[in-house]
Amino acid sequence: MRHFLDAFRSIATAARSFARPPTTVQFPHEVRERAERYRASFALLHEADGDEACIGCLQCERICPSKVIAIKGPAKRDSPISGKKRSYADDFTLDLSACIFCELCVQVCPTDAIVMTREQEPPAYGREALVLTMAKLYENEKAKTRAWGDGTKLMEMQTPPKPPKPAPAGAPVAATSVASPSVGAAPAIEPTSAKPSEALGVASVGSTSAGAATSTSGPGPAPEAMASHAANSGAAALLNEPVTRTPVEPPEAAPLAAAPAGSPKVAAPQPGDEAGAAAPAGASPTKPEGGTP
Amino acid sequence: MTPLAATVRPRVNPYLSIDALDPEAELMLLHFGPQHPSTHGVFRMDLFLDGERIVKAVPHCGYLHRAVEKLCEKLAYVQLPPIVDKNDYVAPMTNEQALVMAFEAMLKLEVPRRARWMRALFAELQRVASHLLWLGTFSLDLGGALGGGSTVFIYCFRERELVLDLFEAVTGARFHYNTHSIGGNRHDLPAGWGAKVKAALDTIEARLPEYLAMTLHNHLFEQRTRGVGVLDGELALELGVTGPNLRASGVDHDLRRDAPFHAYDEVKVNVATARGGDCYARTEVRVAELVESLRLCRALLDGMPEGPINSGKPTKLPVQTKLPAGQQYVGIETPRGELGTWVIADGSQHPYRLKLRPPSLHALSALPYLLPGQTVSDAIAILGSLDPIMGEVDR
Repeated sequence: MRHFLDAFRSIATAARSFARPPTTVQFPHEVRERAERYRASFALLHEADGDEACIGCLQCERICPSKVIAIKGPAKRDSPISGKKRSYADDFTLDLSACIFCELCVQVCPTDAIVMTREQEPPAYGREALVLTMAKLYENEKAKTRAWGDGTKLMEMQTPPKPPKPAPAGAPVAATSVASPSVGAAPAIEPTSAKPSEALGVASVGSTSAGAATSTSGPGPAPEAMASHAANSGAAALLNEPVTRTPVEPPEAAPLAAAPAGSPKVAAPQPGDEAGAAAPAGASPTKPEGGTP
Repeated sequence: MTPLAATVRPRVNPYLSIDALDPEAELMLLHFGPQHPSTHGVFRMDLFLDGERIVKAVPHCGYLHRAVEKLCEKLAYVQLPPIVDKNDYVAPMTNEQALVMAFEAMLKLEVPRRARWMRALFAELQRVASHLLWLGTFSLDLGGALGGGSTVFIYCFRERELVLDLFEAVTGARFHYNTHSIGGNRHDLPAGWGAKVKAALDTIEARLPEYLAMTLHNHLFEQRTRGVGVLDGELALELGVTGPNLRASGVDHDLRRDAPFHAYDEVKVNVATARGGDCYARTEVRVAELVESLRLCRALLDGMPEGPINSGKPTKLPVQTKLPAGQQYVGIETPRGELGTWVIADGSQHPYRLKLRPPSLHALSALPYLLPGQTVSDAIAILGSLDPIMGEVDR
C-alpha cells in the first residue's frame, strides 16, 4: 500500500511542475542573457585614436597554460596614426579549439588590448574555422559584445587598497604625471621618469629597472601606447603598468618591485569597480606588487 | 568505534585470484562499462557473476588519465588553477582552492579575510551544486521506480543551474572558473549578487521537499537503498574513504570542523552523520549536508566582510612567481571528501612534483569490498552512491 501512496505522491509532485513556467529557452531563436563577465570568445581592441592597442609584448603568449596564442613580433614601426615609432604585433592568432577560457591573457595584458567577448563563436565544421586570426580578432571588437573584464579592471579589482598617505617628495611629480600621462605612464621605461625614483633615494634600484626595461621593450613605443590607455584607466593602473610590461624575462623581480617605489602616490577612483567591496582608493606604489615571494 | 562492525558480514579479501573462487570456470564475466551512464565518466569493472550475484569485482580505472600531475610540473604556478579545475569537474571551485592553499602555505602568504569568506561561500555553493547533481544522477541510476527515473534528475539539474548562474555572474564562467589566484581571489563579488544568491537559496530550499518526496521519503527508494552496499566505519578508515561516504558509516570526521580552513573557524559547521553505512545513509548524509550548506551560505553572505580580495603579491608578474624549496600538503573538505594537494618545490617557477589526493579514488577502492554478494542492479546503486568523479580519479 505504501508503494502506491509514494508512487502517487511522486506523480503528484511531477504533475505540479506542469503548472510552472518552463525553465529552458528555445536556443537558436532565443538566446539567454549572459552575465556581464561571461567569457566566451576573444577580441583585440584599438586605441581611442584608432591605432592598434596590442604592442606585441608576448605576455599573453607566455601566460597561456594551453599555449594557444601565437604572436609574431614585436616589430617596431611608425604608427600610421601618430607617426611615432612604436611596437606592434605582426601577427596574432588564437586557437579557440584548445582554449580553456581561463582569462589569464586578459589579466596580464598591459595595454588592455585583448579582451573577452560575451558572444560565442558560431559552431564550425572544421578546426580551421576556430582559429581566430588577427583580422577576425579585430573584427570581433565591433561585431561582438565585450565582456566586462580587461587587464586594468582585473588588476584594480585584485589590488589591495592601501590607506592613503601624504605623498612625500613625489607630490609635485604626481600632478604632472596625471596631467601628462605620456610621461608619467612609464616611469620604469622612459628614462625621464626614472627621475622621481632618484629623488626618493632609490636611484640605483630604479635605474636598473629602467635599464632592463629599455633593453627589452624599448623606450619608443611605450609612452604613446600608454597615453590613450591612461585616458580611460585610472592613474592607479598607470602606476602599476611598468611592472607588467617591462621585462620579458627579468633576471630578478626585486628591482621591479622597487621600481614603482619612486612613483608618486595618486589616489584614483576605481572606474570599473562594480563590486560590493570597499573600493580600493588608491594605487599602492610603495608596496611591491610583483615582488618575489 | 562503531557498533556496525558487529552487524557487517566477515570481511573477505576481495583481491583473491578468481581461480580460487571459480576453479571450474563456471562464472560469467561481465564487463561493466567503460561507457556506462552510471559511471559519471569512463570506468570499467569486471564483474564475475554467479547468476545475478556478484562473486568478485575488479575495478579498472585510468580511462580518463590526462597526466595532469605531470603537466603541472611543466607549467608555472600561476598557470595551474585553470588546469586542476578539470579534475573534479562537478566541483571545480574546491579543486582550485586546495591547490592555491598549498601554494599560499608555502609562501606563508596571508589571504585577506574577505577572500577567505568568499572562498568558503564558493565552496558551500559548490557543495550545493555538487550534491544536487549527485542526487539527480543517483536517482537516475536507480532507474524507473522514482517518478520516471529522470524526473529527479531533471529537477536537480534545474536547481543546479541556479548555482552555476551565480558563479557565472562572479567569475564569467559556469565551470572551470579560474577565480582563485595565489594570495586571494581574482574576481570580487558584483553588486547585487547577494540578493541573487538568497533568491536562489530560497528556491532550492522551497523545492527540496519535492526531491525528498521522490527519494528519501519514498518507500520505493528506501527499498532500493536500505542495507545495500554497507560500508563499515573501520574499513572506510582503512581505505582512506573521506567525506559523506565516511560520515555515512558513522565516523564523525569533517575537515571543515576538525581542521578549519577558509572562514570555517568563524562559522559553525554542523556535521551530519548517519550510522547505516548503506546507500540510504549516504543519501541521508548528503541531503543533510545540502541543507546545512544552504544555511552556511546565508551565514557567510550575511557576515561577508569588506576589504581587499587579494594580498596582491603575485598578480602583477605572474609567470615569475616562485615557491621556496620545500614541500607542503594541504587537504580541504570538498563535496566528495578530503582533497589534498602535496606540492614539492625546488625554488623554480615550476613545481618539482605535484601530487593530488582525490577523494573519489579512495571511495572507489571500497568497491571490491562492497560488491561481492550483491546483484548487478545493486552494483549500479552502490557505485552511484559513492559519488566518484572519474576526472579526479584518473586525473
